[in-house]
Amino acid sequence: MIGGRRPLQGRKLGDRRVRLERPHSAYFRWTGPGTLTAKAAASVPETPVGRAWARTKAVLIGRPLANEADITERLPKTKALAVFSSDAISSSTYATEEILLLLVTAGAAGLVYSVPISIAIALLLLIVATSYRQIAYAYPSGGGAYAVAKANINQPSALFAAAALIFDYMMTVAVSVAAGIAAVTSVVPELIPWRVELSLIALGLLTVANLRGLRESGNIFAVPTYMYVIGAIGLIVLGVLRVAGGDPAADFTPPPIAPPVEGSAVVSAVLILRAFAFGSVALTGTEAISNGVPAFKPPESRNAATTLTIMALLLGTIFVGITFLAQAYGIVVSETETVISQVGRTVFGDGALYIYFQVSTALILVLAANTGFNGAPRLAQILATDGYLPRQFSFRGDRLAYSWGIVILAVVAGIFIAVFDGSVTALIPMYSIGIFFSFTLSQGGMVVHWLRDRVRGWRLRLGFNLLGAVVTGVVAVIITAAKLERGAWIVLVIVPLFMGLMALIHRQYRAQAAELTISEAAVLAPPHKARRIVVPVNGINRAVVHALNLGRVLGDDIRAVYVTDDEHDGERMRGRWASQVPGVPLVIVESPYRALVGPVLAYLDVLDQAWPPDTEVPITIVVLPEYVARRWWDRILYNQQARRLKSALVGRAHTVVADVPYRRRH
Amino acid sequence: MALNGATIDRLVLAYAAALAKPSKADLIALHVVEIDWTLPLDASVAGLSEEAQRVLDVAEAHAERLGLHVEPLLLKARDVGAAIVDEAAAQEADVLVLGLPYRTRFGGDFVIGTTVPYVFKNAPCTVWVVREPMPQEGA
Repeated sequence: MIGGRRPLQGRKLGDRRVRLERPHSAYFRWTGPGTLTAKAAASVPETPVGRAWARTKAVLIGRPLANEADITERLPKTKALAVFSSDAISSSTYATEEILLLLVTAGAAGLVYSVPISIAIALLLLIVATSYRQIAYAYPSGGGAYAVAKANINQPSALFAAAALIFDYMMTVAVSVAAGIAAVTSVVPELIPWRVELSLIALGLLTVANLRGLRESGNIFAVPTYMYVIGAIGLIVLGVLRVAGGDPAADFTPPPIAPPVEGSAVVSAVLILRAFAFGSVALTGTEAISNGVPAFKPPESRNAATTLTIMALLLGTIFVGITFLAQAYGIVVSETETVISQVGRTVFGDGALYIYFQVSTALILVLAANTGFNGAPRLAQILATDGYLPRQFSFRGDRLAYSWGIVILAVVAGIFIAVFDGSVTALIPMYSIGIFFSFTLSQGGMVVHWLRDRVRGWRLRLGFNLLGAVVTGVVAVIITAAKLERGAWIVLVIVPLFMGLMALIHRQYRAQAAELTISEAAVLAPPHKARRIVVPVNGINRAVVHALNLGRVLGDDIRAVYVTDDEHDGERMRGRWASQVPGVPLVIVESPYRALVGPVLAYLDVLDQAWPPDTEVPITIVVLPEYVARRWWDRILYNQQARRLKSALVGRAHTVVADVPYRRRH
Repeated sequence: MALNGATIDRLVLAYAAALAKPSKADLIALHVVEIDWTLPLDASVAGLSEEAQRVLDVAEAHAERLGLHVEPLLLKARDVGAAIVDEAAAQEADVLVLGLPYRTRFGGDFVIGTTVPYVFKNAPCTVWVVREPMPQEGA
């Protein structure tokens, strides 16, 4: 309200003006008729502990950002490629090895199939990426496979896709961090006993970086991703030139290939199919962009689709290129050195380029975790908005990141790292299983989508998605079967449990909504129930007087209740009450068994029973005097009985509890 | 800079910001609520409060987006022009930036109003007037 200050005299007689106060301006801003918007100062904690925590948070994750900063936090394509594609691109570091690992069982004859298999996988990548491009346009609010399955198939399949994806994101984080630390411990073996602790520290750093918000995490993670991409492209160009120049052997002698021994595999369709399935690990992370469309700068869908195309082209090129070079140089799986390292050493030699390439490979392997940190919290936000996860997952933190999702993901990944002793070998069988089931569901969902929405060219698109659904489904089954004994069964247990949990949460939210919802057409009548005020007192003191004053404002039907285990004390209280608090009846409840809460509750029951049966039960307002201690350690000295009484009254029918705090400055 | 809550305020702010930024000068956003002679000057005018405060709040928010800090100042006075001039003198302003909406009388001649001429005649400092662009035909 415009209030008056003393008028200031102007230069001319009669020119007077009054400067008006703006009491709201420190904390609020009027932004529209009847709308106040809070400033950052309104959220500053008032307690010293709260302020200290806020300062610590500001140092760790940065100052809080307002919602209007959301658009500036969005990612341009260059940073989005680093944030969302590190997992996908990093899979090129081990996908070739996965193929060779199987083909080598058939000896040199098997290895010749590595390039055709990698090309087939690149074609599958093309199909999956094309499908996710379509998903980015059709479902711009994100959600990927979950959104597609929900819209086109049914709720259980959507929940399955979501549960499988979230589990896979979590495993992406755990495996990537463990793999990064494994790279460190292979250089410094003395650190092996500390690998769990080191992994948890790395996980903590990644969590903090992600809590700092999209833009900053994009800045942090862009450099290693591009370092690897540049290194890998350079490796392929140089390698291909050398192969074309007729010098494939260079200065590297690969380990000898063991001939197939009795009982080992021969080149067969099954072996090739298994090699194809295991090499398809290259596709992991392809879906992340379609999950995070809203994180892109406008036009979101177009930018996401373009980034997806660039990512697929880079991944396909690097993967096929590395596989080609491995075959050209006759590189096979070795226990002491990864395939990509052998390729790097063959092409670059042992110099600085090789070290650069190895460092960038290690970094991108760790940063693949970042795709999990961006994918899972966004999916959790969509699930929370749909009522399948607690609502906290849909709230954004100080830096506009989905902090709850990020922290919970880190905690669960940390538990997995600790339980499996930070071992990549132990963790990896659970990795990249869920993702293929979600690929299958998203492709299947798109098939239904095209059948329903027959836009121009729908037959071709349907054909692509159908082929994708079948192939990714086959891959999912093969990978699950192959990894089942080594730990994939854990996925088959956890994913259905997670689905069940989400269904349970959804049922709970729906039941609550049905209970609380008020029809939009309903016109709310004024309150019509009678009110009865009960003030439990522990004597006559300022806190009690404060509570009695409020009680008198609330209604005329007021009484105080004094519970005592001493008959004489009761009599003394009655005498004092009559002279000091006239007008408020006092009921003394003697409690020979020394209980307090029970007798008060029983007295309230008696009051209810005494109410005329043909009239509506009144609202009982229990006004509780509460002394507010100044210091936190004072608090354990006071209000214990009031707290117990309050807990007992919560949920009592037709009862409202009003706390009346008395502070010393009153 | 004097603001009146019209769309021209954004332009006024932009020009004032351009002036203030290089020299890191203080920016004061001024809005004057004109009080009718039938009411005492120190009367509470509840209906105007939120609207008047909003003029300055919107400017403050816009300035923040431009990376500037403005000092908002809300005044009540009988005459807007006199209040602007007197406040500029009190604040020892170097430049006064005002907005002038493009208005015409019954669709005819452009109307300059009374505030701008008063400020031109009496301001103790340099005065910049930012006139709103002429609306396009058919707009």
